[in-house]
Amino acid sequence: MRRTLGVAGVAAAALIGSAEAADAHIVASRLGDLYAGALHPLTDLQDLILWIALGVLAGSLGPAKGRWLVPVFPLGLGAGLLLGLASGVASAGPVADAGMILVMGLLIAAEMRMPATLLCAIALGLALIRGAANAGGVGPETSWLLFATGLASAGYVAITLIMGLTVAFRGADAAPSMTWRSIATRALGSWIAAIGLMMGGFALAP
Amino acid sequence: MPRCRLPLLWALIAVFFLAQPAFAHEQSGVSGGLISGLLHPLTGADHLIAMVAVGIWGAQLGAPAIWVLPITFPLVMAFGGVLGVLRVPLPMPEVAVALSALVLGAAVAIRLRVPFAAAAVLVGLFAVFHGHAHGAELPSAANPLAYGVGFVAATGLLHLCGITIGTLSRWPAGERLIQGFGVAIAALGCYFLALSLEGAT
Repeated sequence: MRRTLGVAGVAAAALIGSAEAADAHIVASRLGDLYAGALHPLTDLQDLILWIALGVLAGSLGPAKGRWLVPVFPLGLGAGLLLGLASGVASAGPVADAGMILVMGLLIAAEMRMPATLLCAIALGLALIRGAANAGGVGPETSWLLFATGLASAGYVAITLIMGLTVAFRGADAAPSMTWRSIATRALGSWIAAIGLMMGGFALAP
Repeated sequence: MPRCRLPLLWALIAVFFLAQPAFAHEQSGVSGGLISGLLHPLTGADHLIAMVAVGIWGAQLGAPAIWVLPITFPLVMAFGGVLGVLRVPLPMPEVAVALSALVLGAAVAIRLRVPFAAAAVLVGLFAVFHGHAHGAELPSAANPLAYGVGFVAATGLLHLCGITIGTLSRWPAGERLIQGFGVAIAALGCYFLALSLEGAT
């Protein structure tokens, strides 16, 4: 009896250890393109860092200005994807990506105040560029409409969550302050800028 | 074979079939870059103690150093990292890194009070050398962006450790303890300085 239990235990451990993700649902169907569009930017560090930076910047400017990004950013991503598909230009290149990360980080670190129109213009420009960069994930068999919907949905969820978290952490008061929460937000901006600076160096390295 | 050894045999078979390839050396891709970047500042003892000392000294100096430091230091260090990546030579980088541990440890040990501008220039100069060393040693197979993310996060967290330790200075016994840390860091800095000078000659 004990031996049987021991063997069963080893077999169970082997099964658990060798378990892999189950693909039992609708990923392989046409709706998979929706998931592909939503997941594609989340597997790219450039997208992740820039989206986080934009969300933190908008959140640190307060909800009154930041809320404009809730429609602007996802729509910009969708428009950028279509532009990328139409023009065939997918990526802005690593130096441009590094420059965007550096500038976004510096804006957060410097606690730069700006009007809502300028914030929207920055968000739209960034969304168009990153949307076009995601066009590389659209294959000949991919439904561009589903992919664009997935991409815009991911952008909507991500930017809203990051802005909300920043407002909750830093407080709704958009004025510059010397509280530790404000300093922590600026330090995060400095980290983002440093990452952009290093990425630029790597891109220019011989 | 005795029956009691059967489970052991099954376990060995399971281990054999579950074996994964070993990555004992340089790691590649995004995860490899992230891990390399995170571990790089932690695996060099001279870098590690100097980064912690920067945080402690900033906490001892109080405002504005305690909040300017975590905001500006990563940027200055990243600038040094870019110089390293671009292979721009700096004079005796290993000596400067060891010297930074010695000087910053001594500053913590004696509670050195200097004008903020002087502290910023000194720490900024050392930051360039530390960043240069990290940039020059970038693993070739690692994803550069992921390496940068890991490297900056690890450095920032080391400063945070130093600042947290530095908050002990609110209590007299904590201040003595911190000065003891400073002496230990300076002593290690002396050791690394001797090693680097020996290597340079």
